[in-house]
Amino acid sequence: MQSPHEQQQTLSGKEQWVVLKRLLSYLKPHKAMIAFALFLLGLSVLGQVAGPILIKKFIDDYLTPGNFPTGPITTLAIAFIVIQILHVFVTYVQLLKFQEIALKIIQQMRIDVFTKVQRLGMRYFDRTPAGSIVSRVTNDTEAIKEMFVDVLAGFLQAAFLIIGIYIAMFTLNPKLAAIALILLPLLFLIIRTYRKYSAEFYQDLRERLSQLNAKIAESISGMSMIQAFRQEERFEQEFAEINGKHYRAGMRNIKLDGLLLRPAVDLVYAAAIILLLSYFGIASFDHAIEVGVVYAFVTYIDRFFEPIGHVMMRLSIFQQAIVAASRVFRLLDEPDMEPAQREQNNASIADGKIEFQDVTFSYDGKTDVLKNISFTANAGETVALVGHTGSGKSSIINLLMRFYEYERGNIVIDGVSLKAYPKSELRKKIGLVLQDPFLFYGDIESNIRLHAPDMTAEEVKAAAEFVRANEFIEKLPDGYLEKVTERGSTFSSGQRQLIAFARTIATKPKILVLDEATANIDTETEVAIQESLEKMRRGRTTIVIAHRLSTIQDAEQILVLHKGEIVERGTHQELLAQRGLYHKMYLLQNNILEDDVI
Amino acid sequence: MKVFIELGWYFKQRKKQYLTGIILLIFVAFLQLLPPKIIGYVVDDIQKGTLTGGILAKWLVVLAVAALMMYVLRYYWRIMIFGSAVLLSRQLRQRLFHHFTQMSPSFYQKRRVGDLMAHATNDLSAVQQTAGAGVLTLVDSFTSGSFVILAMALTINWKLTLIALIPMPFMIVLTSYYGKLLHERFRYAQEAFSDLNDKTQESISGIKVIKTFGQEQEDIDDFTRLSGDVVDKNMRVAKVDSLFHPTISFIVGISFFLSIYFGSKFILAGTMTLGDLVAFTAYLGLLVWPMLAFGWLFNIVERGRASYGRITKLLNEKAEIEDQPNAVDLKAAGDLQFDIDEFTFPEDNEPALRNVHFTLKRGETLGIVGKTGSGKTTILKLLLREFEGYQGNITYGGIPIKNYKRDRLRESIGYVPQDHFLFSTTIAENIAFTDTTASKEQMIGAAKLAHIHEDILGFTDGYETIVGERGVSLSGGQKQRISIARALMMKPELLILDDSLSAVDAKTEEAILQSLKETRSGETTIVTSHRLSAIEHAHQIIVMEGGTIIENGSHEELMALGGQYKEMYELQQLEALVEKGGEM
Repeated sequence: MQSPHEQQQTLSGKEQWVVLKRLLSYLKPHKAMIAFALFLLGLSVLGQVAGPILIKKFIDDYLTPGNFPTGPITTLAIAFIVIQILHVFVTYVQLLKFQEIALKIIQQMRIDVFTKVQRLGMRYFDRTPAGSIVSRVTNDTEAIKEMFVDVLAGFLQAAFLIIGIYIAMFTLNPKLAAIALILLPLLFLIIRTYRKYSAEFYQDLRERLSQLNAKIAESISGMSMIQAFRQEERFEQEFAEINGKHYRAGMRNIKLDGLLLRPAVDLVYAAAIILLLSYFGIASFDHAIEVGVVYAFVTYIDRFFEPIGHVMMRLSIFQQAIVAASRVFRLLDEPDMEPAQREQNNASIADGKIEFQDVTFSYDGKTDVLKNISFTANAGETVALVGHTGSGKSSIINLLMRFYEYERGNIVIDGVSLKAYPKSELRKKIGLVLQDPFLFYGDIESNIRLHAPDMTAEEVKAAAEFVRANEFIEKLPDGYLEKVTERGSTFSSGQRQLIAFARTIATKPKILVLDEATANIDTETEVAIQESLEKMRRGRTTIVIAHRLSTIQDAEQILVLHKGEIVERGTHQELLAQRGLYHKMYLLQNNILEDDVI
Repeated sequence: MKVFIELGWYFKQRKKQYLTGIILLIFVAFLQLLPPKIIGYVVDDIQKGTLTGGILAKWLVVLAVAALMMYVLRYYWRIMIFGSAVLLSRQLRQRLFHHFTQMSPSFYQKRRVGDLMAHATNDLSAVQQTAGAGVLTLVDSFTSGSFVILAMALTINWKLTLIALIPMPFMIVLTSYYGKLLHERFRYAQEAFSDLNDKTQESISGIKVIKTFGQEQEDIDDFTRLSGDVVDKNMRVAKVDSLFHPTISFIVGISFFLSIYFGSKFILAGTMTLGDLVAFTAYLGLLVWPMLAFGWLFNIVERGRASYGRITKLLNEKAEIEDQPNAVDLKAAGDLQFDIDEFTFPEDNEPALRNVHFTLKRGETLGIVGKTGSGKTTILKLLLREFEGYQGNITYGGIPIKNYKRDRLRESIGYVPQDHFLFSTTIAENIAFTDTTASKEQMIGAAKLAHIHEDILGFTDGYETIVGERGVSLSGGQKQRISIARALMMKPELLILDDSLSAVDAKTEEAILQSLKETRSGETTIVTSHRLSAIEHAHQIIVMEGGTIIENGSHEELMALGGQYKEMYELQQLEALVEKGGEM
């Protein structure tokens, strides 16, 4: 569902034109197919236009004089039937082709947007609600699809048909056809007037509807508050007011449609018939008239009006599509990309020695969340980061993972700046386990393997065994093929974490980054997890954010962070001896009170 | 068609409009018959050379008058029928909203906001369709269809009419069949779209994992595959959808062919004129719409019935907690006596509360502490009468709370929930929630008590600042303090703070508690908290664990007891120290 709060902005005529031009540029790759569809459309119109001419010929040449030579009549009849049948096929293929083009265009647009989203920096995700990004990728493109399918194809079909009918009328009777041309400005006027009001009225209706829905959604979410404070009646009143406004907007639309849509088109149709009859009637006063021509004109006028109403009803879709497209294009033009790499030829991580050199960092450019951070993690060593929420632990990891770009200071791995490695090398050699192990919809194997195509089932199993995830996986009814539902909600947080471990180990990283990996774990799996963690860390440089201090006692170095600075550093024993912040945290976690300590 | 009977109450209510609309429709259907007939007459006169200026003028005037009348009538039946349909959805929507306000929390626990929203949007619009377009197609396809057929059969040639109609049933059958196919395939297309939506949602939520493993490209490939599936499923829809137009034009074409072929024979036999034939084919053109409409009708009605069924089912849900007959119509006040032997939430197996007994004297403050899930909030929910069905009794001022009128009980209680919910309107309206006519001074007074006044002045629009997605985003602490101001506005007899100071820093918490103490000396207050500093000064403190009271007394008494309370208290002192970075 589209967020009810999605702001409806109005675009100026010029902006609409720019958006439309950019939308139409998506047609380019499909030039050949479009040409083919247009050719079919031409044929289909030809078929529609030819029928009445054949009947006209029959009426004037054979029926009126009352002479029926079998040969020519059979030919006419067969021609009529054949044209009907061909017309059916051509029209069908033509309609299908237009749909196919529209769908292909939308698919391309979706892929473009999705690709763009994948390349955006984390900053963008911090400030944009996930729901609104999803809306851009799916709902907004869907609105654009309606435009390509309904509006564009509909407009083209109508235009072709009208042109075809005019050509036929001109061949039958140029003078009358010329007179019939005055229908065009008349219709154009109605369409323009309708569009002018409907753009406004329809927009108003949509806004009222989204207000209405926002009010319902908010009231449902806040119902306990409304009830606790006895505001039911007031909310009903307020809702009734919005509901009434929506109703009035709806009625205004019905009235507008009634005045200018179908009834108006039908009125013009009647005017056209009057015009036709008076022309033929007056002409018949001084010379004979071919009745077949009258027949053909009546039929053409009939067909002429068929697509007009259809097109007018779709004008509002066009308006919405333009607004949706402008939102999509704004995302496509978003400049906040992920940090770029200045790749040096084949820099690769062999040992995994990490150095932070005087790194200062700020998310918003105002307050520094990291201040002059310097430390070294030698190959194979474990460095633990501890500190209170907001102390800067996660920011260190965010920089190391290249989620955010840093400007001051440098981060160096094996003597080479982090910025100089190819991105693929970093992703391959640095494995991160997040605090919240995110599982994807699928099965356990697909969650360990992720998208790596060359990983064998044995490797998946080996990774699971390595972190001892196999113990619970093998007990599942479907083992490695056990289904994982949305976000893995059927597994305990410990089990999810073990799967995430296996996933990381399977890529055989040189450097391991653990972000509070044991924070949300139930006690039953904790022992297994601790052992797995220890095993994983062996032989790998590890940066770990520790929630429980007990898990990092054997770290080579512990950094205590407070407000973006390293306030204490050393081994567990050294820090305890300092009797500073670390010491207090340790006491707290072990539920030991100061006076109990000997 | 059953849905028309189910909606009978509404048709009765709007008898006048529907009847007028239907009569107008019938008139239009009748007037529609004129143009083809007139064309026929004029053609005959032209052919026979009997057309005079007078005759032509007469026919043209009739035509013009008929056209203008049709225009006016068409406009009005739309207002009558479509207008009634819009009004129906307005009424049903209002009824649904009213119903929502009457439902108990357990109702909302069972349902998701999205599902309830779907009833108020998609289902309503399907019902609106039925009461509008449904009625129209039903009436119009019958009247127009039968009028045109009658006109063809009675005024031109009944034999030719029968012949020309031969292909028409195929059209009804085929379009109705296509409609069914389309509906089915459309559902698959919707499912594919929803899969794509889920995929996108998942990729964006899991963007960190994808980036960590450098699998952006692979994820894009996966997305491409799913979006290809959307294309395939939509093509399947298009394959049916594109059948409509050619099928109709083919069948109509065959009908035309038959009319011309046999019509010519009748003309030669002298039973028909050329003008009749032209009129006849024009009538055939008029038949297309009723036949098509007939095919649609089934689909509209089927969807309308399902939707109306869902709405009625929802409206028939009974509120679980309702006022008893002869409920006490008094504002609740006095001492509070809480005696619960056992309480289990509906659909739970384990009891949430066991043997919880306490008395709270009017004007005193009760502190409730305990871990998450220890039963703190459950006690409050029972006090608020959000749930019933417990063993035991809760009395307020000596009267069981079950016996009060729901509104009179709530009138006494100012509740500040754990998950503070603010409405997306101005701060002023959020604070003056219970009394929209409150003066600015009263509001500022409450805001000052909750220590949020200064913060509010800091916003560019002050008290007129809009809260939420469309306005300023407030910090958790600010939201909590606005919630407190909201509850204070009603000067409640009983103020309940459900862990409502958790996001406020220790100093502000202390200041708020102090000002509450000063202004609420005569009224009762209940505070639950993780943080003991918030309840330290309460007259009475109960410590909850596993749904029951394990310790009970004043702060001093509990400290002297040397039990869990004391341990928690000292640990939290240490924690506060760590938060400050270790400096005293």
